[in-house]
Amino acid sequence: MVVRLKVGVCLLAALSVTAFAQSDGAAGLAIPATTLAINSATPLSQRVVAYDMDAKYDAKTHSLDATETLTYHNLTGQALDTFPFHLYLNGFQPTSTWIREGKRWNSYGPDLGTWDAKGYGAEEIKSFEVVGQGDFTSQLQFIHPDDENKDDRTVVQVHLSKPIPADGYVQFKIKFHDQFPETLARTGWNRDSILGGQWFPKVGVWWHGAWNCHQFHYDTEFFADFGVYDVKLTVPQYEVVGASGIEVGSVNNADGTKTVTYHGDDIHDFAWTASPHYLIYNDTFQGSMGPVKLRILMQPAHWSQAERHARIAKETMEHFDRWYGPYPYKTLTIVDPEPGSEAGGMEYPTFITGDTNWYMPKGVLLVEDVVEHEFGHQYWYGMVATNEFEDAWMDEGINQYTQIKIMNSIFGASTSIINMWGVTAGQVDEARPGLEAEADVDPIAKNGWEYADPNSYGGITYFKTALSLRTLEGVIGEDTMRRAMHTYFMRYRFTHPTKEDFLKTIEEVSGQDLRWYFNQAIYGTQVLDYEVMKITSAPVDWYKENLSEKKGETEYVSNVWVHRKGEFVIPIDVEVKFDNGDRVREHWDGQDRWVRYEYQKKSKVESVEVDPDHKIYLDRNNFNNSRTAEPNGDPARKLANYWTCISQFFAQFLAWWLV
Amino acid sequence: MNEKTSLVAAGAAIMRRNKRYVVWFYLLNLAFAHFGATAFSDAAHGILDHSLYADKLLHGFNLGVFLEMLARPEFGTLPGATHPAMMFSVVFFLASLLFMPGVLLGYASDHPLPRDEFYRACGRNVWRFVRLFFFFSVIAGIATGILFGGLNALVNAADKTSNERLPFFAQLIGTVIILLVLMVIRIWFDVAQTDAVLRDQPAVRKSIVAGFRKTRRNFGRLLGSYLAIAIVAVAILMAGILLWYAIVPPSSVLGAFIIGQATMLLLLAMRFWQRATGVAFYVREMTEPVAEETRPIPGFASPLVS
Repeated sequence: MVVRLKVGVCLLAALSVTAFAQSDGAAGLAIPATTLAINSATPLSQRVVAYDMDAKYDAKTHSLDATETLTYHNLTGQALDTFPFHLYLNGFQPTSTWIREGKRWNSYGPDLGTWDAKGYGAEEIKSFEVVGQGDFTSQLQFIHPDDENKDDRTVVQVHLSKPIPADGYVQFKIKFHDQFPETLARTGWNRDSILGGQWFPKVGVWWHGAWNCHQFHYDTEFFADFGVYDVKLTVPQYEVVGASGIEVGSVNNADGTKTVTYHGDDIHDFAWTASPHYLIYNDTFQGSMGPVKLRILMQPAHWSQAERHARIAKETMEHFDRWYGPYPYKTLTIVDPEPGSEAGGMEYPTFITGDTNWYMPKGVLLVEDVVEHEFGHQYWYGMVATNEFEDAWMDEGINQYTQIKIMNSIFGASTSIINMWGVTAGQVDEARPGLEAEADVDPIAKNGWEYADPNSYGGITYFKTALSLRTLEGVIGEDTMRRAMHTYFMRYRFTHPTKEDFLKTIEEVSGQDLRWYFNQAIYGTQVLDYEVMKITSAPVDWYKENLSEKKGETEYVSNVWVHRKGEFVIPIDVEVKFDNGDRVREHWDGQDRWVRYEYQKKSKVESVEVDPDHKIYLDRNNFNNSRTAEPNGDPARKLANYWTCISQFFAQFLAWWLV
Repeated sequence: MNEKTSLVAAGAAIMRRNKRYVVWFYLLNLAFAHFGATAFSDAAHGILDHSLYADKLLHGFNLGVFLEMLARPEFGTLPGATHPAMMFSVVFFLASLLFMPGVLLGYASDHPLPRDEFYRACGRNVWRFVRLFFFFSVIAGIATGILFGGLNALVNAADKTSNERLPFFAQLIGTVIILLVLMVIRIWFDVAQTDAVLRDQPAVRKSIVAGFRKTRRNFGRLLGSYLAIAIVAVAILMAGILLWYAIVPPSSVLGAFIIGQATMLLLLAMRFWQRATGVAFYVREMTEPVAEETRPIPGFASPLVS
């Protein structure tokens, strides 16, 4: 019986091996272990994919024909017979989910009112072969996992005739044609320039036991597996080309084109650009893992700002290297995209786009703001490759937080976005209006395409997240927070961590149970708003006739009320200042709705301030965090004076021309 | 008035002799703007007066804090705070329309104009000025409509090139040209208004024709004079902003008020200088023999030159 059973098990195992037999052509397949593009002798990621692409770009029609050989290593631990692929350029079709969502919020983003067929994009698979299994072109099916839009063609799925066993390989040979859209967002052409993002069929990610391959959404970005990219781009010889990875060859062809070859290691996407106008500015950053070549492609009219781009890139890289961890790639390409295009401010692995214009004054730090932000995504998206669809806050929000830290470190907290003609603004000031407007609309932890609208998506994922982490820093300490971020980066780089991976890392490093905070700030929509409700000071001897109050002699009973207006509970400090200069600090756990403090002193309360060390950045209303006993009308008078002058000028202008 | 004196100098002399008009109009301008700013001011006082956070607006100007203030629900809606200012701007325009005839008559007079004559001129010309405004609006509207249409097409064409500066400079130069065209139309109607007042001309079409002829015959002189004064106005505005920035401490409300109001007063004076220049031109024209019969100017027995 036992023997027969053993034979049976052996037979079953043999059968299953036969059933899972890899495609004949897949035998001997492997993902290359190259390290050409990284400052490391060994691969850094668990490489799942290898893309080998040969693309020919037609600059006149803004279209592209390419062949793609995708080798996939099944590391899911189970057999796979279904594979989904992104075809994101189909998002730029009138019936796509991306456009539908854009039209839903037509007051935001690109002007779809003037968008016509000339600007549409498309991505068509001409042939689809599974090596060893045959041609599957006719069996491709468009699916729409996120909504009921049957007209959305941004995700396509194939069922193989034979499953790919665990730890097996499969190779797909795909021929496809791209029609790039006129840039509405992230990718496409503008005049004679092209920014090629999301341009090739890209396989989804097997994540937590299922395929994760979302449709192209209006707000959200991307998610893909790490691997190796070898890409040949054939473009007219007059084009200046930049791309992810490192350039490994360039050959001029007889037909007036050239073929530029790029190689990327341990990256999960590949973007490129070509324009006849780019001027190249080269620089080098000496990182802790080795030198990084900076290749900055500038518009001629912006050439004077090339040094600005290089300086902020290097300063940002130095901060990241020192605070969070090393940048292991050998190159970083910074693209100053075609003016007026919508391709600015985007991130791809080792490739980012800035955003500026020819008159950008030095006191407006938008160049620095964008370059810092997009470089930050090399960490929070590029290496710590979170799911940008489902956890948009983990790339945008964490990145916004590190942006605040780094920009403030370089330019000063109150001048890290504008410092010109007496007008200032810091990174936190940039973030606060977004929080103020959207604080209770959506929680941070939410699928990116399910936010109420783009304002909520932006206000919550970017700004509320950043301010939540900045506030958390006040709870656990700046050094602890930095150690936690460093640990998170080093532990989860080249993986796809979840939100709990991040939050548990902070708890682990800080040694604190922070659920009370995460449940409110990350998972909840509670609003944090404390106010100084009321101040009173009355003489103790108020009942005496002919009482004359003398400063420093008369004794007063003062009362101070502090009110928790919002549902968000967090312990706070309260500082009470008396008119003789004395200060008293109180600590309130915030559990009740309000608290009252009473003092008997020979001085009156002058002012009261909640959070006097300014560590709580999540407070929705900073104006009511303090209260002075006596009003000071100067700030309002100053603004009213400005407004009066503007009104006078407008009235004069009107009368000047009309009478 | 010396015939050889330039129009700009003659205008300056007239304006200097009649400073009170500038002052009164300035006070009107300030009062209306103050009323218009009341809603904004009240909302700002409500939020800022007891808050230490407001220091970021007093000792400097933190744009983020300012935007936070505007976004506060207790500030109310932005239109609610700003529309009164727009309405009072229109009121100031109407007041200018009403009182400008008196100013023009005063400018043409060789002695301080009695109050009753001032108001009589205002009353007698109000309907004429309304009609002149209507004709000005039609002509200026058509001209600027066509010009802005052309400019938009030009800027769109420039935008198709890869030269990023081209659309900006096309827009800038185009706008300057449109403003120059508007200035010419303004000069024409300034002369027409002066004609309507000084000749007590009830038929505004005749004033419009007379204004057109005089402007056409003296195009260079008038445009040069107006342009020179406009350039001085731009210089005053720039100097005012620079002074405000350079010498006024951020927390000095009084200093900002003084510099701001001095700039506004001088800017308003520039427009009155232009009007005085227009009157000086018209009066000089009046002294030359004309073929058509002219009606006597009420209140003036002698030539209107000094």
